[in-house]
Amino acid sequence: MRRSFRGWRRSRPFWGGLFIVVAAVEIFLTVKAPLPVVVHVGMQGLAGFLVPIIMLLCGVLLWFTPANRTFYSILALLMAFASWVTSNLGGFLIGLLLGMIGGSLAFSWQPAPPRKPAPALPPDADTAELTERAER
Amino acid sequence: MTQAEDQEEQPQGRTRWRRFALTMGISTMVTAGLVVLTAQGVIAASFSVSGLPFVVTADELQGTGFEQYAVLDQMEPGSPNEGDTGGQLILIVSAIDNAKLSNLCQSISLGGTNLRLTAGNADHPVTATKLIVDSDLITGDASFTSIDIGQDASTLTRVPGATGGIGIFGQQAETVNIKHLRQNNYATTAATFNLPGLHMSFSAEGC
Repeated sequence: MRRSFRGWRRSRPFWGGLFIVVAAVEIFLTVKAPLPVVVHVGMQGLAGFLVPIIMLLCGVLLWFTPANRTFYSILALLMAFASWVTSNLGGFLIGLLLGMIGGSLAFSWQPAPPRKPAPALPPDADTAELTERAER
Repeated sequence: MTQAEDQEEQPQGRTRWRRFALTMGISTMVTAGLVVLTAQGVIAASFSVSGLPFVVTADELQGTGFEQYAVLDQMEPGSPNEGDTGGQLILIVSAIDNAKLSNLCQSISLGGTNLRLTAGNADHPVTATKLIVDSDLITGDASFTSIDIGQDASTLTRVPGATGGIGIFGQQAETVNIKHLRQNNYATTAATFNLPGLHMSFSAEGC
């Protein structure tokens, strides 16, 4: 179980997503207000709400569709910057910094190249297998 | 063998740290730019603090369009801030359509330490629109023009969109001027602030 979690974690920008999720929650908590109040204020209040929600979605989607990581990580970075204006100075700077770290981590994550030689097998094993196949 | 299978199903990845450093560098520059532009008053930042008690002080507040009425705030059930209040707080709602504040100081208690924000001076005051504040304490030397005292809170008109409940005491004025303002704010502030000369710090003392 633990091992499979590790495999899951290593096969996607896990830490980047986690930082973004934590940042989004932190920002959201600082702007948390009863919904009628938010609607009352209008666009400004709504934007303050929406920015951390979009950040949260980016973080979660980075985990579940890592193939789209470039889009989500750039969007998360932009939302982190936007939160400075819309959401209490980026959750009083804390959420903004966490979002920056998360977005950068996710942006710079990449899957290992597909033709990576398996280190567990001795170098001859591959060729031996290949020749065996060729003989068949 | 199983390991190889795992790798095939879920390709392992890694972080390219050079790229990370580059992205962080650019992000840091963008953030620094935002902070500087906000401090110069070019960008207006939006505030809506809720639930956390925070203190606002200012040397002088000048506002146009002023309303004030009482409201009963209900805390979340089981809130640790409940104390002996039974979870209910009577707060004063002050709404100001357009406000100018000189030498604004705002501190938010984070348990042990305070986040302290200062901005604005007499020449370049902080400007705020639709400043709606729930406070349990307001002090200062206030003067009003064209004040209507004792108007029903539901019929207040000076700040578009902000009215209280029917049958609740309210007052409104065309302009307001408060010197040595001090507010203990509680529940909701919702406003767009222009913060020239912004300075943020963590300090043991509040405002």
